[in-house]
Amino acid sequence: MDPRQRPLLHRRLGVFKALAWSLVAVLILIYAWLQLVRHGEFKQLAMQQAVKVRPIAAPRGLVLDRNGYRLVDNRRALHLVIQREDLPSRPEVVEALAQALDLDPASLARKIQSYRFAGKGRPLVLKENLDESGIALAERVRARFSFLSVDVAPRRVYLGDELAGHVLGYVGEVDDELMKAKPGVFRLGETIGKEGFEASGNDKLKGVDGQKRILVDQLGTEVANFGQTDAAPGRSLYLTLDAGLQKVMQDAYGEEAGAAVVLDLRDGGILAMYSSPSYDPNLFLNRLSQDMVDRYLNNPTRPMVNRAIQGIYAPGSTFKLLVALAGLEKGVITPQTVIYCAGKKNFYGRDFRCDKPTGHGGLSLVQAIAQSCDVYFYEVASRLDVDDIYATAEKYGLTERTGIDLPREKRTRIPSRAWKRKAVPKDPKWYAGETISVGIGQGAVGVTPIGLARFYATLATRGKLLTPHLFYGFRGDQTNALEPGPVPPAKETPLDPRMWAVLDEGLHEVVQSGTAAANPFIREVAREAPFVGKTGTAQVATFVDKSHYARQAKHLKDHALFAGYAPHDRPQIAFAVVVENAGFGSTAAAPIAAKLVKYWFVDRLKNPLPPPRGRMVDPFAPAPEVAE
Amino acid sequence: MKERLRALDPRLLGVILALMLLGTLTLFSAGRNTPQAAIWLKQTVWNLMGLALMLLLANTHPRRVLRYSFAAYLLGLAALLAVLVVGKKIGGATRWFVVGGQTFQPSELMKWVTLLYVSQRLGSRPADSIGRLELLGAVGLVAFPMLLVQRQPDLGMALSFLPILLIIPLMKGLRMRWVVALVLLVTVGGFGAWKVALKPYQKQRVMIFLDPSSDLQGKGYQVNQSRIAIGAGGLIGKGFTSGSQTQLNFLPVKTTDFAFSVWAEERGFLGVLLALGLFGLLLSRILDAAKAAHTNAEAYFCAGAAGIFALHLMVNVGMVAGALPNKGMVLPFFSAGGSSTLSFFLALGLIMGILYRSRVK
Repeated sequence: MDPRQRPLLHRRLGVFKALAWSLVAVLILIYAWLQLVRHGEFKQLAMQQAVKVRPIAAPRGLVLDRNGYRLVDNRRALHLVIQREDLPSRPEVVEALAQALDLDPASLARKIQSYRFAGKGRPLVLKENLDESGIALAERVRARFSFLSVDVAPRRVYLGDELAGHVLGYVGEVDDELMKAKPGVFRLGETIGKEGFEASGNDKLKGVDGQKRILVDQLGTEVANFGQTDAAPGRSLYLTLDAGLQKVMQDAYGEEAGAAVVLDLRDGGILAMYSSPSYDPNLFLNRLSQDMVDRYLNNPTRPMVNRAIQGIYAPGSTFKLLVALAGLEKGVITPQTVIYCAGKKNFYGRDFRCDKPTGHGGLSLVQAIAQSCDVYFYEVASRLDVDDIYATAEKYGLTERTGIDLPREKRTRIPSRAWKRKAVPKDPKWYAGETISVGIGQGAVGVTPIGLARFYATLATRGKLLTPHLFYGFRGDQTNALEPGPVPPAKETPLDPRMWAVLDEGLHEVVQSGTAAANPFIREVAREAPFVGKTGTAQVATFVDKSHYARQAKHLKDHALFAGYAPHDRPQIAFAVVVENAGFGSTAAAPIAAKLVKYWFVDRLKNPLPPPRGRMVDPFAPAPEVAE
Repeated sequence: MKERLRALDPRLLGVILALMLLGTLTLFSAGRNTPQAAIWLKQTVWNLMGLALMLLLANTHPRRVLRYSFAAYLLGLAALLAVLVVGKKIGGATRWFVVGGQTFQPSELMKWVTLLYVSQRLGSRPADSIGRLELLGAVGLVAFPMLLVQRQPDLGMALSFLPILLIIPLMKGLRMRWVVALVLLVTVGGFGAWKVALKPYQKQRVMIFLDPSSDLQGKGYQVNQSRIAIGAGGLIGKGFTSGSQTQLNFLPVKTTDFAFSVWAEERGFLGVLLALGLFGLLLSRILDAAKAAHTNAEAYFCAGAAGIFALHLMVNVGMVAGALPNKGMVLPFFSAGGSSTLSFFLALGLIMGILYRSRVK
């Protein structure tokens, strides 16, 4: 039967046609809903994922020493990378590349895989901070693997290496903890100061990031730039540090552990600060290798600790000046008080021995300081209460942090009755015998080198409580010259002139005729640049028989200290030197102080460093060889 | 040659050429700045081959084609079996033969061969009534290749066999009410069972049986990006080669499954109206051919073909808009691909031939 004569078929086809057009109509309605009604919403979504606002990192400011020598520079670092859109996929290519670069093929393949699927924008870094041989290698390898590229990124360079590691610190990527602790302050991946002045001076150095509006594709690669606001570079700044003095200090320590600080008495600026062993901040810019972790973080000598502000040392005899001051101010002694030393003295049924077993005989205060007689100060302490000593320490700022502009400064520990209640709850009572030990800077007394230096600065200035600081001022953008910053406030706690005179005289005699005078080098320096100071030898362990001393392990030897100021008549600097496990203050610490004084007042003026004008001179570069 | 060109129906040809142009423009834009930049050229080659095939079939008497339908059906079944054994596995499915670097998907062609054979079989029986055995036979003829395709697995393709089973019995006299009742029963029953009777792990088994790739991630992402592309197109579109979703690669698989989203983003609602209107005209003209056909078998084939085209249109255009689940079904003239293009043109050539015979006689 001819289908054209079939009414049923026609009916059905009519229905099908109607259904076909209804399908088209329904689809049109769906698209009208998406494209007309919800157009705005989807347009917004498309914009959001394609147009990104990306920050432009502002270069950090440079850090200069007080004379303008660069301590921290920015250099361009080259990294061998693979851009995300160029990641190779063929396993044999990955293997060959790993071989060419001496990388582990399995871990490289894993890395490539993870970059393919996670994260956006950042290229995969194969080799970072290429040096000359690295660049040569990169060029050779790139000839074979065209998908490799060399990325240029700014990099911090610490010119002195270990010279001022603790002072300068280092930078790194902001971590999650900090991001969470201070929401809205940092952006992901931002470079911030992690340690030292890089951390405490972060706001001064960091500048203002710019931003750009860019079009990105699905992989996050920049396709077009819609315009940008440029980054405002961070301002370069001067530290109060003197690179030359710092170098002398570093050299003076050599392999010894310890810390030293030199303060400028005009404003509290830190002329030099060194903690030994030091670390090289440059090494922290690369991702930490196991080698680094071993060398620094797990090292028993704890090079990451800035001993100058975080090391707590028994001050030993350097503390006697404070005890003397407490005695004078409390009136239990006068400048003329003479006390007899028989080599030992019994207090509360226990013998306290002097350094000189045969005894010093009758001593005035000046002589007692010069000879560092223990019995004299046992006696002074026995006439005082521990809280009297604490009160004097508090008055002259020794119980608080100095307020230096470095992170994580520790507080000195001056014992008192209240302190013992809190610190030793099992035995909260203060025993009078303990005060005797405090009298010679032993027992629970612990000071930081910076705190000790500031106390001697207070003595040198006859009662000025300076705030030690590193920030000197910004570098003028046009002039390139120092624009001095504000000097942190100093507190005045005037010393009685008569009391001061006797302490000053005592310190003078230490170097002229006392404990430090035996050393010919010290005498020689003191002739050219008269400096004064007090030796200290702080016990780490008590020995029954001193003849065993030399045979004792190095780590049980006494800490050597020397603190003082110079020049004697019109003091310009104050200093504190601690050498760990080195024995006597007079033989281990005082010579270091003498070297510092000699450089500052003699050598520096005789052979000045070349001026850092124009293209700045790097004082740490090896001297150019002169043809004969 | 001029004589042979006369076999082509001008209205149908016009619609086909217009849709080809739209599809080629879409592929040109979708392939820009990707490794597939030349895909529009490749597709043009397939289209030209398809046009040649169409011209050849239009000049062949439909009777001669139908005569070979049984042999073709057997050959197709053999090919579907063979592909399960020697086929190339791509993305977890074995659907393709590889010959000289070119892939070929036998199921694309088999769909039309099945339609052809079922049309031929039922068309040779008395019209306006359908026996139970006849119906059962037809179900068997369609179910067999469908199951083989689902073994690959390829749910979208297997589903595209369904119009054959629905449309031809209807044309032959199956009461509309039975079909409506069946559809209602399956929908309500299935929904009810899903909601009430099945435990979660059973549901999961059913889902995995129906679509083994459903547990893979990423489908939601694809459809989401596609909806953003379509919606962002607005009334007049972002302009040719200016769609951000397309050009910045946010839109996935944009040369095949999501090609229509490219068109919708860059040409907007007006472009969508144009494309859907052309598809409407295509379906309408194919149904005209069914009406004009000389034999029942020819009429069944045309109506079934309209059903298959309509299903592709509905599933693909509905899917990229997020209105239907993501079942990879290509859109004729838009999605790039050799097997599907040649198969569509083969069907269109047959329809052209049917229309031509109805005119000349």
